[in-house]
Amino acid sequence: MSNVSNNAYALTVLSPIKNDHIGELSYGDIVRNKLIEWDVDEGSPMAKVPQTYLARYFILDDVFSEALAGGDFWGTSYDILAFFSDKFRRRALPKIDQLKSRYLVFSSNFHGDLEIYLRGMWAVMQKEIKEVWGYCYAFDHVHDADTFIAYIKKCQLNAALFFVGSTDDSLEEQLKSLYLKQEFSKFAVEHQGLPAMELQKAYQAFIRRVEPTNLAGPSWKPGQSTLCK
Amino acid sequence: MSNIAGKSYAMNVITPMRWYMTWINKLIFWIAQKFPSTLRGLVTLSLIHYARWVIIGRNQLPHLDKRQPKEDLHYSYMLFFSNFNGSWEQYVDSFTFSIPRGLDLFWKWNIRYPHSVPLTPFHKYIQYNQIETNHYYNATPLASSNDVKSAKKLKAALIEFDRKFNTAVPDQFLDQYNALLRNLQGDLGDMRPTPIVSMAAAAVSKRRFEDEKKLHQPNVNI
Repeated sequence: MSNVSNNAYALTVLSPIKNDHIGELSYGDIVRNKLIEWDVDEGSPMAKVPQTYLARYFILDDVFSEALAGGDFWGTSYDILAFFSDKFRRRALPKIDQLKSRYLVFSSNFHGDLEIYLRGMWAVMQKEIKEVWGYCYAFDHVHDADTFIAYIKKCQLNAALFFVGSTDDSLEEQLKSLYLKQEFSKFAVEHQGLPAMELQKAYQAFIRRVEPTNLAGPSWKPGQSTLCK
Repeated sequence: MSNIAGKSYAMNVITPMRWYMTWINKLIFWIAQKFPSTLRGLVTLSLIHYARWVIIGRNQLPHLDKRQPKEDLHYSYMLFFSNFNGSWEQYVDSFTFSIPRGLDLFWKWNIRYPHSVPLTPFHKYIQYNQIETNHYYNATPLASSNDVKSAKKLKAALIEFDRKFNTAVPDQFLDQYNALLRNLQGDLGDMRPTPIVSMAAAAVSKRRFEDEKKLHQPNVNI
């Protein structure tokens, strides 16, 4: 199983939601509404979770079955056997699956180790975690970072294939690189055609301002969606 | 609901497969993971940030509590999660045009998979089995996957240039600075907030605009 690709980790979590309701709303719908209400981009609770590249939540209400005639391995033999009993004809049809619980699906792509990541997640978004996972089976055993990690591991499914088309650098590294790309592109455009000495002076001031090797220095913020901040 | 965060689109597709055929898919994925050269076609699709395939056996959905009813499924399921740049159509079509055989290999054993060519039945198959995302977060909404990769190259080149030529004599500095720009010409370029590429992105943008407006509106008592 391959949840890991170098330094990147693919976490897939399916947590069963209790089959209950408050008033006319099922727990599944309540969780969905809460997720939709979360702020986005830099305001998302996930923006506070260290090392998150991309993450998503959705509710799996049910699985899908396309109701067309079956083309199964035994299909032709069933067609012949249907002369003798109607049950064989029915066996050739696609089966209909229906989930008995809804599932809260959480998927995250992040940098580093799973336990460190989940510990960081618990530390910064405990309120939101309880707000959505609180409607799931067995979450009542979760009361600290350790029990949260144990719970998520029980709900975790392994990836059969994880493809990294971007980079697996730390988030700070990615954000700093993007900040430098933005700033240096601007610098290059604004300082075209200057005499050597003047250009070098401006360049030196630019480097002092952007501090290329200092990840804690000027950079983009996680989830930053505008350029004026 | 939003499948879009900045320049990224979140695709979730869940497709049934016969439980006794999952081992073939797992074997194909295992080979692909062990021998990355088999994923060369996927690498050419530089619009992808991260993608994954998860195969859920028919008895493998998490069961955590005695009160939770046990699932009784006929099929196993394959989950496909992708984070990509651009519109849904661009993505699905570029998959079809770049790696049709690879796509068929990954999905061939899924129920009702129509093959990646022709396009219309393939579009319908993905649409039928796709699930909307309820909350999607992207740490770098202003950047595409190609921006992230080019930024990494730019940062390394800039630090190296700075180490060698920051205090060089001005003429040498200028020569090397020009060489740096030539070397990075494919990686430079500023980033801006995402263009509206779909109805969903337009809806998110409209909602945010209305939220901002409410924030700045004086309280009016009616």
